[in-house]
Amino acid sequence: MLRVKEGDLYPMGLLFKRYHRELFGFFYHMSGNPDASEDMVQTAFYRMIKYRNSFTGHGAFRSWMYQLARNVLLDHVEHNKRSARQHNVEDYAERIGGGTLADELLQKTEQATQLRNALARLSEAHREVLVMSEYQDLKYKEIAEILNVTEGAIKTRYHRAMNELKTIYLKNEDER
Amino acid sequence: MKMNDKHISCEQAKEWLTDALKGELSSEDQTVLDAHVVQCPECQRELALTRDVRNWLQTDETPEPSSGMESRFYNMLTIAEQENNVQTPNVPPEQVGPFHFTRKPMVWMQVAATILLLGVGVIAGYWLRSRKAGDELAQQKIDIMAVQMQEMRQMMMLSLLDNSSAVERLQAVSLSTELDKADGKVIEALLTTLNYDTNTNVRLATLEALIRYTDEPQVREGLIASLALQDSPMVQMALADLMVKLQEKRSVKALRQLLRQKGIRKTVKTKVEQSIIQLSSV
Ligand SMILES: [Zn+2]
Repeated sequence: MLRVKEGDLYPMGLLFKRYHRELFGFFYHMSGNPDASEDMVQTAFYRMIKYRNSFTGHGAFRSWMYQLARNVLLDHVEHNKRSARQHNVEDYAERIGGGTLADELLQKTEQATQLRNALARLSEAHREVLVMSEYQDLKYKEIAEILNVTEGAIKTRYHRAMNELKTIYLKNEDER
Repeated sequence: MKMNDKHISCEQAKEWLTDALKGELSSEDQTVLDAHVVQCPECQRELALTRDVRNWLQTDETPEPSSGMESRFYNMLTIAEQENNVQTPNVPPEQVGPFHFTRKPMVWMQVAATILLLGVGVIAGYWLRSRKAGDELAQQKIDIMAVQMQEMRQMMMLSLLDNSSAVERLQAVSLSTELDKADGKVIEALLTTLNYDTNTNVRLATLEALIRYTDEPQVREGLIASLALQDSPMVQMALADLMVKLQEKRSVKALRQLLRQKGIRKTVKTKVEQSIIQLSSV
């Protein structure tokens, strides 16, 4: 992996092959916007190429990649705030709502829409820990390494986020 | 200690439930948890709820990224390799994937440039043959070619910069570094890009391209003015660094204003404060 550092860009192609879907998933679940997510993947790899010297070789490559990805996401969020664009809940609902729908699919769509609304209501930190854990399949320990906090702190944060989501879930059930 | 003796509270059990479903509970704790859940209806309900919520989370499926994503990446990688002067190793095609420019304008511009340069060459050659080709004339020919090349690059750069694709704008910026000298038009275009491009990478690359021209007063003033316009922490910090490197004392006022900007990131703040100190100390 250290070859990435040594001016030889060839490994970047392999890294892209291996991780671009995973990164896309991270950006997608955090932003709800597939197009923006593709741009963010591109930006993340651009920065990996550009700042490959900052990868010390200590710790996992994946952690370094996620640390970089979080910054890309932060820039995206701030930029969107400035241009007063909203989180993409409507876009999302529209996208998965298109096409012919069987009842089952309709129900799934509804659930997914509710989920996006629920996730959008969580704090950034809570959403992040859920996305990393549930969609990216990262272990507590790995998340802790990426966010540079203790494993205990991540566990607590995850449980809180999960509880919050459970509350929203139950409320939705009541309203149904 | 015998495990069967260990009892846990419902609160503890609920935490462990989540960990267990994530596959992050030790087998010892799992045994203790199972013993509790078996005889506790409340925790059984919690288990069902946790499962439901995790299933609910799975309803948000990740869509397929578009096929263009991969080619855009290789496009960018190629540019990076060129900038790096790194020789591309012989990579088997299935590992590199299809490389092609994603949009036509770039290819079209290259073809146009080649044709134009060929044309210049033919005319120059004709012109040379019709006279006696002395050293001076040969030099003139080279000069004309150089001017044409410069103009062509500049034209390509300006038109690419006006593109909706961030990758192509990046290409444009990298092209600008091949210009021997930048005229006002190019500098103006670069400064506009630095201030208003929607893509942070393009702005960062533009800043790097502009460093070559910091001897020009127009560029210096543009960079100072840009401090007030940047919203990306990366660009803000890069600009602050550059101001110190250039020992640009006139920037202190703009840097101070940046500090007062709403929602300025802590890392940026620290960097800017350091920069102000460094600029004021000499
Ligand atoms: Zn219990």
